Amino acid sequence: MQPTDSKNPGPLGTPPDSGDMVTTTAEGAKGSISLDALMAGDEKAFEQLVVQESPRLFRVIVRIVGDDDEAASILQETFLQAYQRINTFRRESKLTTWLYAIGINLARASLRKSRRLSSLEDQEVERMQPDFNRGMFVETPAVWDPSRVTELSDRRQLVRRGIEQLPEDYRTVVVLRDIEEYSTDEVAKMLGISSGAVRVRLHRARGALRKLLDPHMRRMPKA
Amino acid sequence: MKFITALKTALGVAPGCEKVNEFLAEFVEGALDEKMHAQFEEHMNMCKCCDHYLDQYRQTIDMTKEVDEVAIPTELAEHTLAFLRKSNAFSQDQGSATS
Repeated sequence: MQPTDSKNPGPLGTPPDSGDMVTTTAEGAKGSISLDALMAGDEKAFEQLVVQESPRLFRVIVRIVGDDDEAASILQETFLQAYQRINTFRRESKLTTWLYAIGINLARASLRKSRRLSSLEDQEVERMQPDFNRGMFVETPAVWDPSRVTELSDRRQLVRRGIEQLPEDYRTVVVLRDIEEYSTDEVAKMLGISSGAVRVRLHRARGALRKLLDPHMRRMPKA
Repeated sequence: MKFITALKTALGVAPGCEKVNEFLAEFVEGALDEKMHAQFEEHMNMCKCCDHYLDQYRQTIDMTKEVDEVAIPTELAEHTLAFLRKSNAFSQDQGSATS
């Protein structure tokens, strides 16, 4: 069985770019910019793109590289490359998807260069998936009790630490799909992989996060 | 797991826990075809292990969605536009779109 295409809407329910307009995704500043003007190198149109997309793109980059100053620098380089290479955009995706792909690639290159390593290796993520014997669970997963971590700040801290431990490939799909809520198809285009590969990576990342959260969330046995 | 579901799984006519788990991302996204989705739901209703795991999986996604907000630096876009002008990508005398 092959995974089917995502049925989820785009970010904030925005449709793909239609006609010659670019639908930007920035919260509170959703708007349309003329794609033809952008492709023609119109500085005003590009400035509008920078203003509207900077906050969200910064959030994505900082969650990948984990450093505000580095993320701001990568953001600048992303827009510079986008402006210089705008004539290579082939209108096969949303312009914002193409823009984010540039930013994500630069963020990954920065991580490789700095050799900042995640605390988990790919093999450990594999080992954090549930065990099966003859197709059935080996152990019954525990019942989770959300009241064990009632404070929102505590839950956020637990999850943030978990995400930070994930290898970059896994962290990036969690950031794009589960936090920023891009559709699976858009994430696939941003990362240059298939939708099925996005779901596989996402599933393993969620499985690893589940494993990390498990000790904190298990229902306490009655005294 | 109820006997009938276990039997169907053993006969290979219904998905087992491992198969259900393999396609859990598709299941929660509603990306499975109708027949497969119904088979998965039937399995979940009968299998305590998969039901518990699905609950944990969904809670993990929900908790991930509420992770800390990222503080956006002040004048982020303005600094980027200044960088573009400094890099000679933009003309030097261009006014800011934010002004």
